[in-house]
Amino acid sequence: MTQPGTIEAERSRDIRKRWLLSLPALLIVLLAATGPLLIVLLYSFLTPGPYGDVLWKPSPDGWIGVFLERDIFTETLSLADAHVSIFVRSVLLSLATTLVTLLFGFPTAYFIATRPERTRELWLLLITIPFWTNLLIRTFAVLQIIRNEGLINTLLMKFGLIERPIQMLFTDGAILTGMVYVYLPLMVLPVYANLEKLDFRLVEAAYDLYATPFRVLTKIIIPLAKPGLIAGSILVFIPALGAYVTPSILGGGKNLMLGNLIELQFGQGRNWPLGSALSITLMLIVTVALLVYVRNVGSQEKRHG
Amino acid sequence: MAESNAVEIRDVVKVFGFGEFAFSAVDHASIAIRKNEFFTLLGPSGCGKTTLLRLIAGFEFPTSGEIILNGEDIGTMPPFKRPINTVFQSYALFPHMTVAENIGFGLTMLGRPKQEVRDRVAAMLKLVRMENLAGRRTSQISGGQQQRVALARALAPQPKVLLLDEPLSALDYKLRKDMQIELKRLQGETGITFIFVTHDQEEALTMSDRIAVMSAGKILQVDSPRAIYDAPADRFVADFIGETNFLSGRIGSVTDGIAHVDTAMAGRISATLPRDFVAEGDVTVVLRPEHAALCDADDPAACQTTGTLENIVYFGTDTHYHVRLGDGETQFMLREQNKPLQRQRFSVGDRVGILFEPNAARVLRN
Repeated sequence: MTQPGTIEAERSRDIRKRWLLSLPALLIVLLAATGPLLIVLLYSFLTPGPYGDVLWKPSPDGWIGVFLERDIFTETLSLADAHVSIFVRSVLLSLATTLVTLLFGFPTAYFIATRPERTRELWLLLITIPFWTNLLIRTFAVLQIIRNEGLINTLLMKFGLIERPIQMLFTDGAILTGMVYVYLPLMVLPVYANLEKLDFRLVEAAYDLYATPFRVLTKIIIPLAKPGLIAGSILVFIPALGAYVTPSILGGGKNLMLGNLIELQFGQGRNWPLGSALSITLMLIVTVALLVYVRNVGSQEKRHG
Repeated sequence: MAESNAVEIRDVVKVFGFGEFAFSAVDHASIAIRKNEFFTLLGPSGCGKTTLLRLIAGFEFPTSGEIILNGEDIGTMPPFKRPINTVFQSYALFPHMTVAENIGFGLTMLGRPKQEVRDRVAAMLKLVRMENLAGRRTSQISGGQQQRVALARALAPQPKVLLLDEPLSALDYKLRKDMQIELKRLQGETGITFIFVTHDQEEALTMSDRIAVMSAGKILQVDSPRAIYDAPADRFVADFIGETNFLSGRIGSVTDGIAHVDTAMAGRISATLPRDFVAEGDVTVVLRPEHAALCDADDPAACQTTGTLENIVYFGTDTHYHVRLGDGETQFMLREQNKPLQRQRFSVGDRVGILFEPNAARVLRN
């Protein structure tokens, strides 16, 4: 009945219309995500200007500086121990943060998911309350608790358990505590979303089939909650890796993390190309982590589906 | 005596909620379920049959009373310590495991050697005729196959008692019929006591050795399917199992266990009296639809009563007739078997007579 030609024309008109409709979204992606990223990438290949900014002269020094340092006198390259230790500390602290938030977040999410439906929303609200306060203020609150004259040391000394304050502030432990506190909700929420969908009749079925409560947890609940656990881990790991406020306040400028190192290059360091190269390196680490995640979940889906 | 019982429920009460919201899901229930029996808990939804099953499984603990298994009160024992397995209404198969892993789960949890688990899983797959699907995910098999896996999984650890919570309700009619036969076969082959929960009276009648009819948490009657159908203990059982006509009247005289009851609707009816039941005065008489037939209203001597034919429902094997009796309120149901090449004798709106089979009516215990 209809001419093939008109169908074709209609289809191309349809496609044009679709592109037009998605234009705002494309524009935002281009301007807000791709554009700045390209600028950062471009800067990483330029020469640092004397007062910050960049000189429009290509140079590989920014990238060389990520892991290597040039001896001032001999011009020889050697491994930049400081940078390596910051990378290692960042990755280890982020992994530790992920692990600890998993340890605390899973029981919390399980607790909420097993409450009666009416009260679950209240519990979720309570979990998100810290988000209502500025990150800086929350971090200073942690500082108040763990500093030498802080709550913990004062109480311990009052009860005579210690004689002089324990140095907690400005340690990796302090950074870890702060990050766990800040990122815990990011673990709880996806794990909860997953556990909430969990069919608790499966738990009953496992109990019925001679599984002890511990076995039910390891053989049924955790395997079924795995997508949520992985999502939560990624959500915590990525911002933890790039964390800036928490390590700079609780680490006291001594125990730097990647975020602080990058900030340093754009500030006092006046080495924007290095800062840009470091930023992109951080992004690459995150991308690798994401790829591992996607592959892990993907293969699991394949086995499941 | 006690040893012939697989499970004995002694005066079990289960109360949910507190204070004014408290309600007894199971209300002083006592049953002795025999070894190697196909026992059915039958009742409308909300009657407490599933709660009773969950009490036996260990998912709920009784508020009071005892649940005896092997002479031991298991009322407060957690489910993973009871040698009882359940086939769930939703099947509750583990989605992250294969069919074989699902079936082997119980034995693995019991710490049986790997080889034994493998052999037993193979035997179970054979028993439910699923050998070629061992490696499949549970999401890759049909509803009927999931049903079989759920059965195999629950049977694999060789429980003393198998609990089945409306396991056939999700299947379509034809598959359900097949599974009913399959369940009976499995029960015979394994020799395990089956406790089956259903709200489907036809399912209960066709499959069970004995049936317990429940309502509002109470057990009303425990008997063989035939006894439940032929001699219902009370009005609820009579009404719930099959279709029944209720006629109220007054006992005129009693001779040899047959009461002559004078009813306003159908004159004098001869009705069987339950054994050991001394009845006098006002009683209710029940009559199954298949124990009555239509007759010519113009021949009052041959008919018990007359009325107006209101509705004819064709069922294939038989036809149901709804007749409005003389008072204009009572609806009487009767059922006639269809014969080949039979012509329809009456049509809607006709005045018809109703003929009772002699002594088929029964006086209810009130």
